[in-house]
Amino acid sequence: MNTILPHDSAVGHVTGEAVYIDDILVNNQLLIGKVVYSPHAHARIKSFDLSEVRKIPGVHAVMCYKDIPGHNQMGPVVNDEPVLAENEVTFVGQAVFLVAAETEEQCREAENLIKIEYEPLDAILDIKTAIAKSNLMGPPRKIERGSVGVALKSSKHVISGELKTGAQEHWYLETQASLCVPGEGNEINVFSSTQHPSETQALVAEVLGIKRNEVVVEVKRIGGGFGGKETQANHVACWAALLCNATKRPVKIRLFRDDDMIMTGKRHRFLTKYEVGFNDDGILQAVEFELNSDGGAATDLSFAILERAMLHTDNAYYVPNFFVEGRVWKTNLPSNTAMRGFGGPQGMVAIETVIDRIARYLKKDPTEIRRKNFYGIESRNTTHYEEVVENNRLHMIYEQIVKSSEYEKRRKEIDEFNKKNEFYKKGLALTPVKFGISFTTTFLNQAGALVNVYMDGTVLVNHGGTEMGQGLNTKIQQIAAVEFGINPDRVKVNATNTSKVPNTSATAASSGSDLNGMAVKNAIDTIKERILKELAAIWSPQQSTNPSISTEGGSQPDGWLAGASGGHQSILFKDSFIFDSDHPDRKISFTDAMKEMNLRQVSLSATGFYKTPTIGWDKNKGRGKPFFYYSFGMAVSEVLIDVLTGQHTLLRTDILQDVGDSINPGIDMGQVEGGFIQGVGWCTTEEIKWDTQGNLMTHSPDTYKIPTVQDIPKDFRVKLMESVPNLVGTIRRSKAIGEPPFMLSLSVWLAIKDAISAVGNHENEPEFSLPATNEVILMAIEKLKPSRSLRP
Amino acid sequence: MRSTISFVLDGKKLELDFKNSKGISSTSTVLNYLRSLPTHKGVKEGCAEGDCGACTIVLGELDGNDKIKYKAVNSCLVFLPMLHGKQLITVENLKTSDGKLHPVQQAMVDEYGSQCGYCTPGIIMSMFALYKNYSKPTREQIDDALAGNLCRCTGYRPIVDAALKSCAYNCRDHFTENEPHIVGMFKSISKESIHIQTDQQKYLQPASLGEAISLKHRFPEALIICGATDAALRVTKDHELLKEIIDLSSVTELKEVKGTDTALIIGASVSMNDVRSYIEKFFPALFEMLNVFASSQIRNVATLGGNLGTASPVGDTIPVLMAYNAKVILESLNGRREITLDNYITGYRKTVRKPDELITSIIIPKVLNGAIVKSYKVSKRKDLDISKVQSLEELQREICYSNSTLKLERR
Repeated sequence: MNTILPHDSAVGHVTGEAVYIDDILVNNQLLIGKVVYSPHAHARIKSFDLSEVRKIPGVHAVMCYKDIPGHNQMGPVVNDEPVLAENEVTFVGQAVFLVAAETEEQCREAENLIKIEYEPLDAILDIKTAIAKSNLMGPPRKIERGSVGVALKSSKHVISGELKTGAQEHWYLETQASLCVPGEGNEINVFSSTQHPSETQALVAEVLGIKRNEVVVEVKRIGGGFGGKETQANHVACWAALLCNATKRPVKIRLFRDDDMIMTGKRHRFLTKYEVGFNDDGILQAVEFELNSDGGAATDLSFAILERAMLHTDNAYYVPNFFVEGRVWKTNLPSNTAMRGFGGPQGMVAIETVIDRIARYLKKDPTEIRRKNFYGIESRNTTHYEEVVENNRLHMIYEQIVKSSEYEKRRKEIDEFNKKNEFYKKGLALTPVKFGISFTTTFLNQAGALVNVYMDGTVLVNHGGTEMGQGLNTKIQQIAAVEFGINPDRVKVNATNTSKVPNTSATAASSGSDLNGMAVKNAIDTIKERILKELAAIWSPQQSTNPSISTEGGSQPDGWLAGASGGHQSILFKDSFIFDSDHPDRKISFTDAMKEMNLRQVSLSATGFYKTPTIGWDKNKGRGKPFFYYSFGMAVSEVLIDVLTGQHTLLRTDILQDVGDSINPGIDMGQVEGGFIQGVGWCTTEEIKWDTQGNLMTHSPDTYKIPTVQDIPKDFRVKLMESVPNLVGTIRRSKAIGEPPFMLSLSVWLAIKDAISAVGNHENEPEFSLPATNEVILMAIEKLKPSRSLRP
Repeated sequence: MRSTISFVLDGKKLELDFKNSKGISSTSTVLNYLRSLPTHKGVKEGCAEGDCGACTIVLGELDGNDKIKYKAVNSCLVFLPMLHGKQLITVENLKTSDGKLHPVQQAMVDEYGSQCGYCTPGIIMSMFALYKNYSKPTREQIDDALAGNLCRCTGYRPIVDAALKSCAYNCRDHFTENEPHIVGMFKSISKESIHIQTDQQKYLQPASLGEAISLKHRFPEALIICGATDAALRVTKDHELLKEIIDLSSVTELKEVKGTDTALIIGASVSMNDVRSYIEKFFPALFEMLNVFASSQIRNVATLGGNLGTASPVGDTIPVLMAYNAKVILESLNGRREITLDNYITGYRKTVRKPDELITSIIIPKVLNGAIVKSYKVSKRKDLDISKVQSLEELQREICYSNSTLKLERR
């Protein structure tokens, strides 16, 4: 029985039959919602007049903050995000009014008739200004081990510097969208492209001033999320819900691409300062980091993102004396938010820059410096927050990839090439990733499920996760099929619905299948226990011992789960039958068994629950075990740069990624390749720019450039490690895969730097930042060769 | 003269009358038209400016030999009247009548070519056009066909693999079988000119050059569209009401390419992809530029006439054509004049073209023996990006005319 499936929506995708929010057929009562937003980065609202707008035929509602029946508040953690601006606007793109009309043209006409007077105020548009004005979002955070000051003083070599990393737009293909349909009384049905249905439900209830049991949020699929719909999909849902509630008609809001890019937050920009001490061998003695994050106008998830950045400034390296301090700065830009890696990339790039600089300083290959500083297996194996790096696969991966990528040989060839070529230079870099798996806000590590088995032997699985392309539902379908021992075509995974599984966490932090997979298994175990008990009564009524369940190929209960079964395991769920392996005559088809259970009044529906065991994290002390386990991977990338134009070409990338025992290698490969390429975009062509008034200049794909098919490595060799089960008890011994590969793209960024450095024969440190656009590359090159400057 | 348009959709001939169609105007995009139908929600809007490819559809049109030529285009940049006499193929049409997936669809399923799926219908349509135009395409041809489709999830590798695997059946599929039937429909659609007039808008689609020139004389303020990949943005992004339009897409005289002893003469409404197919040998610098000019979807509709007509700095062909000493032919009821490109363009979107004149063709003189023209484009991203800098070098070592006639050879 082949249980490795293609993506469960693949046929719907390729035929165009897959339904997204904007494709849902609604009756002709549907109204179109529009958000009227601030054109100022910071201004006081002096007055406004909506009376003319209400006269336009076809316009059914015009709303300002005064028309909100509940709380004017949609911040996910801190109450600092108004649904509609009151007296002040704090960024360009902030919602001020809402309009519902029969057509888009009427919405635009309405917008043009709104009268509003602003008094512009001073705006803070970058981190440096925010620092100068002490405009902190909240108190600084720090994690400290050893004594950095002393260790820096006693280090033989000390270098310091500053690194800027850019923002990144999620560029999900489906822009933010929500459709709200009114029910009876206060009831409202919200169809949303959200990664966090429970939070969407909570906020819609708060904004409307109704109870959560009156709001149902449903998510069939998301046309790309990448973190951009973890909190900020809530906004569109709240706006649509307000208009729906006001008109008592279905209302749909789908943001136009440019509006989506202007209104929503991005990956946080960081300005990082560092100082590092090391010895002649390049062994790290002490490191000090100061992380400054651009939070935008509201808190959103900025502190959790900063925390993950701080927890990843070690990446794969042991540093005995470690100090990292982080601050979120408040600026007049849309509130920055979650994006794949969630601060991890901004943290890792800091230490990778440090290592790269040490290598150039010592005139050694950076790969050698990396290897020497990797976390050890038995010793040198605790992080700066004192979690032990268990089941460390860095050394194993390193040995394999150095060999398979022919790193040493190619390094020599590249040196030769660079000696012979003046106008083209090549660069090579190997970078590792060690990424911590679990929400660092520990209580979020929980999931629920509801599994129904019907009398025809089919199974309907509900879980709290959302399907955004990552293949979560496909993995869940496989897990359920294996646990029940039936063909996957008898398992259907339902749209995520808050009335089926309540109080869930966001599908984020790469946790989707770890958490929801276990919750589904837990529900299935409950149903199987009931069936087993009944079958035991049928098959051996006189026996008092309780046989327990087993599924060939399924997960054996681990540690904390063991209490749920134990004893002998003679009854199997396999090949669509349930049978006793000790008594071949005791056998019943799965479908017949379900009919029998119904006759015998056994419930075939159960909820499941899971919480990640053994973790705990003290934010204030900066100590504990925030992560259940680590995911490891490495990449080697080679680039070619054109010295005269700063253009680069990605020639080859080798990747080796640890996913434990993969539940679905096709889907996991997709996460590795897709995450890596998204990272390549962040590192190279994706440049976000605001003008001096706080207007986003790169507000559409004609100026914001995500990778195309021609930007992927000409030679792309990606491998998942084989026979490396996760040694902690995850579902089917798999590992999380959503975010870790993103950061493998730092190999491309550092390969570009290596190629630039070759212009100056690796004698001098190039001036470098992220993204490495052709301007950055060209400027760095020009500074390395002052005698050849193009400028007079 | 007619005021309605006819095209083939879902294997049936449809007639659209703009006077009786609520919510549809002559500048409605094909994307918005399709999405207004309950049965064609597969086509997606990702950007409404031709930069993402999620709205890609395929247009079938008759070539000279009673065969159908299949071209992928961005439906967000095509006005409805431009469909006249063509077959509109959407992702919903690719399955066979008994529900079997098309080879490109099956390969995308098998190779894990979709994740979130929102870009997938557009990618399927680009791949379908590739399938119909190439058997066993090279990696370069695949990249060229897909460079106009953004995918944020997969990293493209499985999509390329799906194309490699599926485009291997000599372009044959159920569309091949149905072709004679569709060709019959095409022939039943009259070639007369179309004048769509409503209270707010006048959309004129002349059927001959003579008619086009006299219409331009009558309506000198009318916006000429010749592909409309630039003009469409005024509708999709700025929501502008274009009041008077003369659409040259049905003027066959402007679609001709001629080679003479001394030059190549390209009709104003020859698509960039068609231009590209003629010039590799004699005008390699222009060829190189067209390789990185927008995307295949845009090159299938964008024209040299359009690039020169808008005189927008975004038009990548203009500097190259200048380096080749190209000339523009302008025609009006008052006659015909020839003007070199450097004298034609006077500023940002400004030219010496008079209101009653039309660009009818572009003359690219043969490069002198010994002269070398090279083009370089520097952009943030290689494909589908606006140039930051273009560099054109023309080196002349000796002046000597060659006698060979430019032989038209299409790739």
